[in-house]
Amino acid sequence: MFRIIFGALLLLGALRFVSKGWVEQLYILPNYHFGYLGFEWVQKLPGNWMYLPFIVMIITALLIIVGYFYRFAITLFFLCFTYVELIDKSYYLNHYYFVSLMCFILIWLPANRYFSLDVARNRVSEQHVVPYWTIRLIQFQLGLVYFFAGLAKLNSDWLIEGQPLGIWLQAHHNIPLVGPLLQEKWMAIAFSWAGCFYDLFIVFFLLAARTRKFAYFFVVFFHLVTWYLFPIGVFPWVMIFSTLIFFSPNFHERLLRRIQLLFGKDKSLDSGTTASSTPFPARRWVTMTIGLYILFQLVVPFRYLLYPGNLYWNEEGFRFSWRVMLMHKEGHAVFYLKDKKTGRESEINNAKFLTRTQEDQMATQPDMILQYAQFLKSHYQGQVLHFGDQKFTIEDPAIHAEIYVSLNNRLSQKFVDKRHDLTTFAYDLKHRKWLEPFNE
Amino acid sequence: MKRLVSLLLILAFTLGCNKDPDDPKPEFNKATLLSNISGEIILPSIAQFSADLNNLSAVYSQFSTDQTQANFVGVQEAIQTAYLTWQTVKIFDFGPIRTNGIKSAIGTYPSDTAVIASNIASGSYNLSSLSNADAIGLSALDYLFFKQGALNELQTNANYLTYAGDVIAKMVAEFAVVTNQWTTYKATFDASKGTSSTSAFSEFVNEFNRDFELAKNAKIGIPLGKQSLGIQLPEYIEARYSGISLDLLEESIRALQKVYNGVGFTSGVNGQGFDDYLVHLEKEQLDATIDNGFTAIINKTVSFTNTLEQEMAVNIPQLDVLYSLLQGHVIHIKTDMTSSFGVLITYQDNDGD
Repeated sequence: MFRIIFGALLLLGALRFVSKGWVEQLYILPNYHFGYLGFEWVQKLPGNWMYLPFIVMIITALLIIVGYFYRFAITLFFLCFTYVELIDKSYYLNHYYFVSLMCFILIWLPANRYFSLDVARNRVSEQHVVPYWTIRLIQFQLGLVYFFAGLAKLNSDWLIEGQPLGIWLQAHHNIPLVGPLLQEKWMAIAFSWAGCFYDLFIVFFLLAARTRKFAYFFVVFFHLVTWYLFPIGVFPWVMIFSTLIFFSPNFHERLLRRIQLLFGKDKSLDSGTTASSTPFPARRWVTMTIGLYILFQLVVPFRYLLYPGNLYWNEEGFRFSWRVMLMHKEGHAVFYLKDKKTGRESEINNAKFLTRTQEDQMATQPDMILQYAQFLKSHYQGQVLHFGDQKFTIEDPAIHAEIYVSLNNRLSQKFVDKRHDLTTFAYDLKHRKWLEPFNE
Repeated sequence: MKRLVSLLLILAFTLGCNKDPDDPKPEFNKATLLSNISGEIILPSIAQFSADLNNLSAVYSQFSTDQTQANFVGVQEAIQTAYLTWQTVKIFDFGPIRTNGIKSAIGTYPSDTAVIASNIASGSYNLSSLSNADAIGLSALDYLFFKQGALNELQTNANYLTYAGDVIAKMVAEFAVVTNQWTTYKATFDASKGTSSTSAFSEFVNEFNRDFELAKNAKIGIPLGKQSLGIQLPEYIEARYSGISLDLLEESIRALQKVYNGVGFTSGVNGQGFDDYLVHLEKEQLDATIDNGFTAIINKTVSFTNTLEQEMAVNIPQLDVLYSLLQGHVIHIKTDMTSSFGVLITYQDNDGD
């Protein structure tokens, strides 16, 4: 059942992405992409070939739904999806990361052993009982997302200032009845506390049979509210449907039967299926791999502890940590090209190299600022620039930047000072000392 | 469980309440702001610009039948009047102005005088073609009517006179479409007060920022050499031939300040604008900073007595001061103001990270 729901969501997501023209806007038109550290070798396909991974995703999502060549399809989908995400981190979203992880998990699960074309065509034998750990693994991943999102909310901006929710909520003052209420600070704080409480504890209520139905009602309610108020795409739907995994096998059985009736088949399913049995996978290396995966998932969100300074300002160890809806950051970045030979300096028109999304993301994220500076250096190095009747050969360019950033409703502060030549800094995972300190 | 949830919710509510015992927020309504901007600024400025263009068209025909010095000056004045009104209209590069490509068709500068000259020489051209993008609009008229010996050329070269007429006719025709479409688009604009990047309010805030940045870069920065290793580029000066560049800058900043404050284009009445929104958000200080910033830029601009080109030859330090004022102001409106409104600049999904 989970396979069908998730497949449908994947299909929906891919179709939505294409239909909004984002393939062209995000991947075909830009000249430069912000690769991930260690994954810069991931390059986009030339021109309209970029549609290819999306077409593959749509086809494989269909295969996943019907359960035909399932393992092949989910693997291919995972590869395409992750490939697309790895091209440019300007577009990083926690829920894309979540989808990637889910697909990865699903590769290893026997999700095609029941109610699938693979079974109908005798590609694999039917299996009514799945090992309990497979379901547990998915539940773990979902729970992790919620729980870490909750943990991340335990900070003073969120709990005491009600920010950034305050900014986002006040913008909705035209909603009838509720609109005026959303203007109030206490409302933002109430939303913040409720959201934090929800994220931290919802998993436990979903796990307990007694509270499950009630908790699920909250899941639907919570995500519908976020879907209505914030532009977060398919994420609410992914969560609403994914959390169905917490329900009992009987529940899923009933759903499947409904689908079958929908298609007019009268062959009734065997009863008492998909019940769980073995708590652990049989083979040892599988246990080990899963253990490692779980450990990895538990540790990665905490890597920010290795860095000094304010996490939201420096953004060191920010991604891949389920920090959702936590920041409202707006920046303005002016980059300067300095010709060391003549000492002359030029402002760089960012729009010449970056799209608005990229520029907007780059201005507040230190790693991207460095990447962009390095790109500018390599772009200008050795270039001959003509201005009027004068000619300059740029042999040794330095790149400086003056950047101001506003974080969670505070007035903007200087983020990067113009005195640094950004090309002299290494782009790595070490703490970035060249950022201006954050003042409360 | 139920009890626990409600308990915590109550706790959260009371905590919130205690922190901020009902402080009255100044009344503000985004819908009022939008209808004030569209009704009191956009529509009147569009009507004015449309009237300016029609007047330009009329004085041009008068001149073409009776090519006197006085009629020539009449055309020159009509061009300058339209150029000044345009400083308000160009802020609103969304809706009909965007879909009809008006900002680039009318406001692109500098003109490519070589293309204009070759068009005139050949006498055959399609002004809508991409290759003529820099040979049309107000900037082309500035060249055609203000360059050295313009009157003589107009009187002696029939192609030159026709070309000027065609440039005017193109603007009149295209802008008539905008005037017409805005009468129905107003309702759409007024109703679109959401926070998504495609809502009219978001587009409006974004274009407001963009227009300011464009004024900073194109009107001052680029000619001054800010993007060319300090080498001045006088050929990039807006309205170089008439020399009204600084008047246009002043008018542009005034227009932006009025939009910021929600001051009616013809009425002069101060209605709801971005300033009221900031005050509603309890950011009076930021509001004052922004309003004073606009005034400081205007005061600096009017302190120059010569044309921009003349000032560039002798008065670089003071122009640098003006440029820094513009530069610093971007941070207030683009970073501080825009982030306070919760408006998204980007167009994709976002989960706030």
